[in-house]
Amino acid sequence: MGAGLMRRATGTLIIPVGAFVVLTALCSLNGVSLFHTDDSLLLLTRGVATTMLTSMALAINLNSGRFDFSLGAMATLSSVVGATVAIQTGGGFAVMALVTIGTGILLGVVSGLVYVLLGISPMVCSLGITLLYEGISFAITGGANVSFLLDRGLTSFAKSTLAMVLVVAVGLVLVYTVFDRTRFGFDYRALITGQAAAVASGTKEKRNAVLTYAVSGALMSVVGLIIASQMGYIEAGKLNFGSIGIMFTAFLPVFIGGYIGRFSNDKLGFLLGALTMTLVGLAFAALSLSSTVQSITNALLLVGFLMFLSNEERIGRAWRSVTHRRGASPSGPAAPTTAATPNKAPVTSGVNAS
Amino acid sequence: MHDLTQRTRPGANGTSGPNGTAARRRSPRELVPALAPLLGLVVLTVAFVVVGTVSGVNMSYSVQTLINQSVVIVIIATGAIFIFAMGSFDISLGASTLVAAMVGGLAYNATESLVAMLVACILTAVATSLVSASLAAVFNLPVFVTTVAMLSVLGAVAVALVQTTGGAQIKVDSSFARQYDTLPVKLSVAVAFLALCVFLFTYTRLGRVEKLIGGNPVTARLTGVSMKKTAIAAFAIAGLGVGLGAFLTVLRTPTMTTSSAADIGMNVLVAMVFGGMPISGGPRTRIYAALLGGLSMAVLNQTMTTLLATSSAGNGISQVVRALFFLAVVWVATSGHRSKLLPR
Repeated sequence: MGAGLMRRATGTLIIPVGAFVVLTALCSLNGVSLFHTDDSLLLLTRGVATTMLTSMALAINLNSGRFDFSLGAMATLSSVVGATVAIQTGGGFAVMALVTIGTGILLGVVSGLVYVLLGISPMVCSLGITLLYEGISFAITGGANVSFLLDRGLTSFAKSTLAMVLVVAVGLVLVYTVFDRTRFGFDYRALITGQAAAVASGTKEKRNAVLTYAVSGALMSVVGLIIASQMGYIEAGKLNFGSIGIMFTAFLPVFIGGYIGRFSNDKLGFLLGALTMTLVGLAFAALSLSSTVQSITNALLLVGFLMFLSNEERIGRAWRSVTHRRGASPSGPAAPTTAATPNKAPVTSGVNAS
Repeated sequence: MHDLTQRTRPGANGTSGPNGTAARRRSPRELVPALAPLLGLVVLTVAFVVVGTVSGVNMSYSVQTLINQSVVIVIIATGAIFIFAMGSFDISLGASTLVAAMVGGLAYNATESLVAMLVACILTAVATSLVSASLAAVFNLPVFVTTVAMLSVLGAVAVALVQTTGGAQIKVDSSFARQYDTLPVKLSVAVAFLALCVFLFTYTRLGRVEKLIGGNPVTARLTGVSMKKTAIAAFAIAGLGVGLGAFLTVLRTPTMTTSSAADIGMNVLVAMVFGGMPISGGPRTRIYAALLGGLSMAVLNQTMTTLLATSSAGNGISQVVRALFFLAVVWVATSGHRSKLLPR
């Protein structure tokens, strides 16, 4: 039991702790600190909050084989509506937050309803929804930015470390509770592992899908809220899929989350994946790397991690054969006959969803 | 390649029942979805002519704009059908077009030769495409995520290429570009490439094998189809399309920045789906889907521009209409292929 716990703890923490150690060493070698500015902690918590929520929003549909391009468009449109209402009513941040999150949920429900009612491929559906939401954002603002730079009430939220920590904690607990501790979550998992069997046994697939989209919309609305509050304005003039970029930042944390989920819980994995990538971002800033180098490094990290995931068994076999040849004695413990990997989370990764 | 191990989808074999065969006469219920993209184009063209005539726009100029808008998308999307037919997905086509166009522009500036520019565009695009294919094939990576990584790398390469000029853009002599930015050049390139693709996809083993892989990868593997070779061939043809698209992009937009061609990648995808291409590939793949979809999008854009040119929210409303029309066409086009389970 002790060995099992050790293995689970190692599997859960090896990526974030390893990344932290490597990045700290790299920064030290270059004579800089990973947390080199006064607001490094704020940058860390804010980065973790936005990346974790985006990863969760992407993953909860990706796990069910549904790829959603409209995440960025939902974040933009919900924050455009929230900020516009808050500015026009003078209701302050509370109104902006409530309206943004309410709009996010509504947009998620609309996405889900379009998907289940039309019965078309979720990826194709999300293309149409992205165009629709981007177009509505543009039509509301006439393509101009929604600006509130001088309104401290609206911009102070994303400048508070405590608020960002609370967002992370509440987001993690809510998503964990909804997907791991409720009837809805059990149905969701049943549909992931055996769609036909779950539907045949009475699971309401359409309702489950719409609710999943609603949760995704809620998560992205919080991301939109944080980004809007951080920037002091919202770029509402993005058309022709200009909003999908935000989704790409979440790929690696999603895969890392899926991997960590095998050892503990995939929601915790998304948090640790987001933490890892935010640390990488802080290191980029500390080392003053150009955007070109940053993009290429991020891409290499993604490809490298996927190579590892896709060839894990091969790598494991090679490793076992090397260690067996070196250290095995006739009286030693027998080598495991199966891959010494913990149970994989059910279709946890988009690795299976391309 | 991971995509090639996906499960068979209901209805992916292109028949509607156990006795369904290609030779069987189609019922109206099957015919309407099959013809939906074509009907969509006809409806849009009628709307375009009516709106244009009523608004008194110069139709000849409007048609030229329409061709200018659609030709690059049609060429790139037609090549990309070879990738999508196998159930794979490439999201880096726009970034690849940009990098190929930039390299082509730099090649022209160095040599002042049109041929050198064309060759540079094609070689860059094919090489880029083959890197994605090789990564996916050799390391068993999912094609989609490989192309997401390529998107990031190519974006960075584009920034680096611009930096080599010491400015924020790569500029090709505009009088030279204007000389070749003509309808005959564009149409010649498009017709030649489309003819090649139609021939390869319809009359050679490559097209049949791709549809088989997209429809049932297990069967394809069991019948001895080489997944890796087929994938590499598909990516090479798609790369050729991207290269030609990049060539025409340089001629059309001789001043290139890192945001040039930004929307091409996703518009290619929308064009294919608009034209009736199933996103999962397989036997229902039609090589002309990109042509139908690209033209439909351009006609719709042009009509909406005519209608909403004076409104500040016009572009947004235009995109909303485009989204609704897109969803409607896809819904009708896929109406014969639904099961009780939600599609994934």
